Parts: sequence; C-alpha cells; structure tokens
Amino acid sequence: MARSVPQSRKITFTIIAWLVALLIFFPILWTFLTSFKTEGEAVAVPPHFLFFDWTSVNYEQVWDRSNYPLFFLNSVVISIGSTVLGLVVAIPAAWAMAFSPTKHTKDVLMWMLSTKMLPAVGVLVPIYLFLRNVGLLDTRIALVVIMMLINLPIIVWMLFTYFKEIPGDILEAARMDGATLGKEIVYILTPMAIPGIASTLLLNVILAWNEAFWTINLTASNAAPLTAFIASFSAPEGLFYAKLSAASTMAIAPILILGWFSQKQLVRGLTFGAVK
Amino acid sequence: MKPRRLRNVAAQTALIPSWLIVIFAYIGTIAWTIRISFTSSGIFPHYDWVGLKQYDRLFDSHRWVVSVQNLAIFGVIFIVGCLVLGFLLAVFLDQKIRGEGILRTLFLYPYAMSFIVTGLVWQWILNPTLGIEQAMHAWGWSSFSFDWLARGDRAIYLVAFAGIWQSAGLVMAILLAGLRGIDEDLWKAARVDGIPAWRIYLSVVIPMLSGMFVTALVLLGIAVVKVYDLVVAMTGGGPGISTEVPAKFVIDYLFNRQNVALATAAASVMFVAVFVVVGPWLYSQYLRRRPGEAS
Repeated sequence: MARSVPQSRKITFTIIAWLVALLIFFPILWTFLTSFKTEGEAVAVPPHFLFFDWTSVNYEQVWDRSNYPLFFLNSVVISIGSTVLGLVVAIPAAWAMAFSPTKHTKDVLMWMLSTKMLPAVGVLVPIYLFLRNVGLLDTRIALVVIMMLINLPIIVWMLFTYFKEIPGDILEAARMDGATLGKEIVYILTPMAIPGIASTLLLNVILAWNEAFWTINLTASNAAPLTAFIASFSAPEGLFYAKLSAASTMAIAPILILGWFSQKQLVRGLTFGAVK
Repeated sequence: MKPRRLRNVAAQTALIPSWLIVIFAYIGTIAWTIRISFTSSGIFPHYDWVGLKQYDRLFDSHRWVVSVQNLAIFGVIFIVGCLVLGFLLAVFLDQKIRGEGILRTLFLYPYAMSFIVTGLVWQWILNPTLGIEQAMHAWGWSSFSFDWLARGDRAIYLVAFAGIWQSAGLVMAILLAGLRGIDEDLWKAARVDGIPAWRIYLSVVIPMLSGMFVTALVLLGIAVVKVYDLVVAMTGGGPGISTEVPAKFVIDYLFNRQNVALATAAASVMFVAVFVVVGPWLYSQYLRRRPGEAS
C-alpha cells in the first residue's frame, strides 16, 4: 500500500532532490569534463562548461608518457588477487559458522568485525618493518596478501550473512538422501552460494581498488596502483590540471561503472548485512 | 552420529585459517607495536626498556596535540554532518519522487570514489587561485573571497566538508532502508491526528531508526580513525601543520623521521582511544544478546 503524498509537495521534493543531486554530482562531472579540455582551457577564467574544443589528448598523453598501464595493471592485480585469496580463506570459515554454529559463533564474528575498527597505522609499523626485512616492499604479492588481511573480516562477515539465508533444510534433506560432505558442497551449497560470493567479490574489489592508506605507504614504483599514482599528483598548481583529471577519470571509471550495477550489494556489504 | 561429528570437525578446521590470520595480523602486530613503544628504537626496532619516555615526548609534541585536536574537530563535524545530511537525503528520497533509483545512485556515487580522488577534486575546487573564487571573480563578483583552504585555522573544516560529501550517501542508503521498513499506518494515524510531519520524524521515526543510526555511526567512526588519505590528497597536512591528523603523524615519524618508537607510541595511544570508545559498544552488543539466544 503506497503512502499518498500530495502532488504539489511531491513536485517540490523532486526538484529539490534533483538540485541536491546535481550539486553532489558536480565535482565528479567537472573532473570528467576537464579531462577533455586542453591545459589552457582547463584553467580558463571564467570556466567553460560544455562549449570548448573537446580533445582526447590528455588521455593519450597520460597513457603514453606515464606508467599508467603499469599502475592500472597493479590496481587490477591487487584488487582482484586479494579478493580471490580472501574468498579462498573466508568461504570455509563462513560456511562453518553459518551451518555448524556453536554457541561462540556470534562472538567470533563480532570479534573479527571489531578488528576493522582498529587504527590501521598501529598495524602498519610491524608490517612495514617485516616487509622491509624480507625484501617484499613494493611488490604486488605483498600488497595482495596485506589487502587480503585487511578485508578478510568484511569478507567473512558478508559471506556469513549470505550463507545464513540458504535454508538449512535443503542441506539436511541432501544428507538424508546420503549425500557426502563433498557432494553437498559441490552440488547444493555452491550453486546457492554463488550470488552471495559474487556480491562479496564485487564489493571487495571496489574496496581494494580504492584503498590508499596501505598502497601509498607500502609501494614506491613497481607495485604502486592507481590510488598511489594519483596521490603523487597532490600538488598540481594548475599545471597538469587536465591531465590529472584524465588520470582520475580513468582511475574511478571502472568503479563508477561497477558501482552502477552493484549499488544494492555495495550498501549491503558496507553495512555488514545490516541493510538488505 | 559419526558423519555429524565429521562435519563438525570439518567445520572447526575450516575456521582455522581465518583464526590464524586474524590473530597474527591483528593481535600479534598490536602487541608488538605496544611493546616497541616502550623502547628507544630509532630506524630499527630494538628491545630495550625506557618506560613511558616516548609517551612523555609524544604529549610534549605540539604537532601531536594539533593532530589530536584536528581529529576531534574532523570527527565531530564529519559524523554529525553525515548523519544530518544523510538523514535529510533519505527523507527526500522517501517522498515517492521521480527518478528515485537514479538519484539514489548519484547520492551514493561519491562513496565509490576513493578519499584520494575526493581530496584532489575538492582541493582544486576550493583552491583560491584555481577554483570557485576565480570563477566568481570572472563572473563579476570581484569581492567574493573564499580562502579557507589556505588558512591554517579554517582548512580542517573544509577537509571535514569533503569527507561529508564523500560519505553522506552511505548514511542515506542505510537510513533509506530503515525508512522503507516503517509501517504506512504511522503516517495515516499522524494525518488523522493532524500532527505535522516533522514532529513525526523527530519523535517517532528517528527513535525507530536507532539501530540504523548506530550502524552508520560505527562505519563513520571507523572512517574517522582511519582518516589519512583524504588529508594527504587535499592539504598534505598544511598549511603548516594545521591539518595534521594522528595517522599522518605516525607515518611521518616512521618514514621521514625514522623514529619507530615514537611512531608506535602514537599508534598505541590511538589503540587505547579506540578501545575506550568501541569497548563499551561491543560490551553492550555482547550483553544484549546474552539472555537465551540460541545461536
């Protein structure tokens, strides 16, 4: 039953909401538009909104002259690698907690989640020194493992909330029919768990892609992903305004596209299943 | 009975890798960090014992005091701003307006951008020599002046503002889900009794959403403790040291000043602070479930 809202108020709210949306979206739009301007046009006063000579020269230059392809590749390897590694560790754990809960399961989950609240800088010092001692600073493999460690609590928690929704009766029935543990996992659990696993994967790729604290501090040039690349531009002084916009656009585009398709999962994941 | 026991053993075995990782990655590193904070380590950690000397130095450091103050200012403005703006956006979207799906995505989009990009974009827009100020001058408003980003006493407020821009959408999404769960009859009853909508929101809806507010609060709190990349991208801690935050303090002492002991002391103080804040919340969660919950 839909709540009836007076027509006039509905129109007012719609207009206000769209104005607010425009205001909120403007910085992103502006970055996008600037990336198609020449450097001179980018700092033109007054700024031109749409009527300028659109050019793709910034994208070409960023692509050719910087190590952009390397940064991009690092982002892909680190975000996907850490997520897949995390799933390998987390799926058995979430499965165990969802289907063979003990009286401590909730406490364990709560405890794992609470580790997310700890300040990352405190963990950084020993991890940095350890990586330095074993010569793994600025390597992709180190970043993959670290990002996995950082996101593991979220991965376990998210998978747990999805697995919890799989009716235990079906598994019970399969057991009654004599399915072995292996068959139960391959034929029954896996197909039902795929959507949850896919959502978890998506969210963690986004989180890992945007992660900057660890990537800035543990990489220099070889394993630096896009966040570190963009951070290195942080004092542009108007010189590379357009190029930086192009680099930023290329860095956020994959996430904006993924985000468009996955906003529901995003919200659910970010709230640890509190919001369905 | 035997297969069932096998299953349970398998289940507990499946938990071991996660346990080991969490114990190693968190408990181990924290214990080590706290231990080193009582030493006189320089570039390399060593294991002597100088008591609370590093903590004395830490709180004598002007920069640390400024960092902590900034974190407090940022934290309060950021959390209150996100909750208020997020709630207003959620209420707007709950009015059955046109294009709600697109609007929700647009509101949430900033959250999909990293703090790095957020900081950079706002740095340009708010930069007195590049952004809004110049545009306003060019459009004829020559007395327009907005130089907070270059002012030591104001820049931290702009950092908080950029943070709100980034995270308010998340709060909106959480609260919107809560608003959707509220019974339509509430609104009918209110209309029959002639109670204005804002009163309903204030005295009925907000209390009903308290669980959602707590979830949002915890997420925002995590972001406050973590704040680092936003500051690095937006102000680099400046002008001067006016927007320094504790996380940046730790990293500067670790990398640039090669003082591991002081860095770990600062990190330990952050641990204790977080523990003092989060501990009671965890404890209440734990207690609330106690009476007769099976799982």
